[in-house]
Amino acid sequence: MAFPRSGQRLPWARTVFWLYVATLMLPLLWMFGMSIRPNEDILGSFSLIPQRVTFDNYVTFFTDAAWYSSYLNSIIYTSLNAVMSLVVALPAAYAFSRFRFAGDKHLFFWLLTNRMAPPAVFLLPFFQIYQSVGLFDTHLGVAIAHMLFNVPLAVWILEGFMSGIPREIDETAAIDGYSLPRFFIKIFLPMIRSAIGVTAFFCFMFSWVELLIARTITSVNAKPIAATMTRTVSAAGVDWGLLAAAGVLTIVPGAIVIWFVRNYIAKGFSLGRV
Amino acid sequence: MSEQTTVAGSQVGGEVVPATPAGGSGAAETRADPKPRNNRAWWLVLPVVVSVAFTAVIPLMTVVNFSVQDVFSPSDRIFVGLEWFRSVTRDPEVRAAFVRTLLFSAQVLLLEIPLGVALAVVMPRRGVWMSVALVLVALPLLIPWNVVGTIWQIFARGDIGLGGWTINNVLGINFNYTLDSTDAWITVLVMDVWHWTPLVALLAYAGLRSIPGPYFQAAQIDGASAWATFRHIQLPRLRGVLTIAILLRFMDSFMIYTEPFVVTGGGPGNATSFLSILLSKIAVGQFDLGPAGAFSLLYFLFVQILCYVFFTVLTRSGR
Amino acid sequence: MPDWMVWTVPTALVFAGLALLLVVMAVWARLSPPVARRGFLRIETDRGDRLYIGLISAAVVLAGWIAVSDLSMWLALGCALLVAVVIGIWG
Repeated sequence: MAFPRSGQRLPWARTVFWLYVATLMLPLLWMFGMSIRPNEDILGSFSLIPQRVTFDNYVTFFTDAAWYSSYLNSIIYTSLNAVMSLVVALPAAYAFSRFRFAGDKHLFFWLLTNRMAPPAVFLLPFFQIYQSVGLFDTHLGVAIAHMLFNVPLAVWILEGFMSGIPREIDETAAIDGYSLPRFFIKIFLPMIRSAIGVTAFFCFMFSWVELLIARTITSVNAKPIAATMTRTVSAAGVDWGLLAAAGVLTIVPGAIVIWFVRNYIAKGFSLGRV
Repeated sequence: MSEQTTVAGSQVGGEVVPATPAGGSGAAETRADPKPRNNRAWWLVLPVVVSVAFTAVIPLMTVVNFSVQDVFSPSDRIFVGLEWFRSVTRDPEVRAAFVRTLLFSAQVLLLEIPLGVALAVVMPRRGVWMSVALVLVALPLLIPWNVVGTIWQIFARGDIGLGGWTINNVLGINFNYTLDSTDAWITVLVMDVWHWTPLVALLAYAGLRSIPGPYFQAAQIDGASAWATFRHIQLPRLRGVLTIAILLRFMDSFMIYTEPFVVTGGGPGNATSFLSILLSKIAVGQFDLGPAGAFSLLYFLFVQILCYVFFTVLTRSGR
Repeated sequence: MPDWMVWTVPTALVFAGLALLLVVMAVWARLSPPVARRGFLRIETDRGDRLYIGLISAAVVLAGWIAVSDLSMWLALGCALLVAVVIGIWG
């Protein structure tokens, strides 16, 4: 396959790319640097290389239940959300990619509009709803709440992938005697595994980084890590070292997820009838 | 190289499925005959409608109810008609924040979309460097938004942050985002570019990788320049992914809240007080649910209109 | 209906109206499927698209009116409905 190797055609391009990536990494490296310094050194004076190296901040993180349990909470509801979003979005995306039905285009856009509501005021009714149905402060509650913005995205991405798969495959399977559910699970799902991987990544990502909704509908049992991080201010000021250590650790799960889906992204998708 | 991009004629569950009659790559996407009309497809979308409606419709109704009343408590409230809409749309602070947010979104789109596409073009395409590049580029996306704010709050500080320190001491420019409005704006903008360009880059990269090789061979035979290849072969085929990228970036930048709130808190003065920050001040700070409700609805209306325009233009153009 | 939703009669009527409108559109689509065509908006729309654009435009008229004018909102409502109808028929 003859992709032009940009490196050959544009010799400087690769260099510029890696320079950009290096710049991209600077704030992250700086955060990592902070996480292995004592607080006095962070606030004391500017120094490029940490003077004293300590892992106390990480030890605190993994021994203090408030920290590591909220870390686990985030992982649990984020994974739950990715699974649930996929389960409801897969059939819907199939319907959008294969059939025309009354109001299909409007439904598609309506789904998207749910990403567009400014959260500030909507948070109060969210709190009330989850309170009244008994999902307040549960992982399931946060997972359902995050479906609000992840399901539309999941439907959109999956629909884009599915539209690239010819309908003849469905028709052939039907002639071979496959029922729709059996065809969907046995033939169709394996064909779009890269779509599922990519969608799961985006769902994971948007759910993991969201703070406002997750913080509003939880208090203790399902409290997200990001919310715990907003409460490091004590009488002694902000504990920057611990905050930075937690920050570094919040990148880890996402980095693992992207590692698993990197080949699916590299395989390419165009998301639309080009 | 097995860089099969479309699925036509590929392996299916162990058995080979015949390719589309038209064959070749991308043919499936341009099939002429329309999709069959079948209203039973509604059963397939029902779970989505139910799950989203649960969290979307009830809050929307509640906010509409807030917007026409002065609410002290559920039992103690007064109907005020459209009064809040009148006061919100005439509030100079709201109008200023609106212009500021619009300007910010425009700058975000103008910077991030070209930069993201450019990155995608020069990103390595195979081997271990491809993996490394993808993971590193995606990292900023995976950081909780308040942590992004915290990172930049420190990083841009002139005394203890690498970024701010370098600008002050190496470049010799006086930079202080807590005192100077321009510096604060630049900090928030650079932070957003840092944070979100990777999303555009990832989507554009995937879009580029889906372009079948023969297109490039044809271009090479014709002796097309790198720019011509990009302009006439790559860019048109990025429409699908760029539609998503532009819509997501517009929505999220127009509603940006957490990051600037952590870094600047809307200041200095009002320099970075975007609509969402102002809205939060009214809704959470002063607990004025009525004005905040009216504010939210107008905000929502505007985002929806712009998204509809983008969506329509991007998906229907060229048809 | 939980009391924290703080319903009022006018807003309830608005939402009931919208729901009714959706039902009418669904029934109408059943009786005669919508046909896409091009009007003065110069994009291909079917009647559902025009309803959406019409409602949004009506909302814009109302919001713009209340932002700049002290004239009666009933007059604004009249204009908004007129805009919606014009878009619905010729859009």
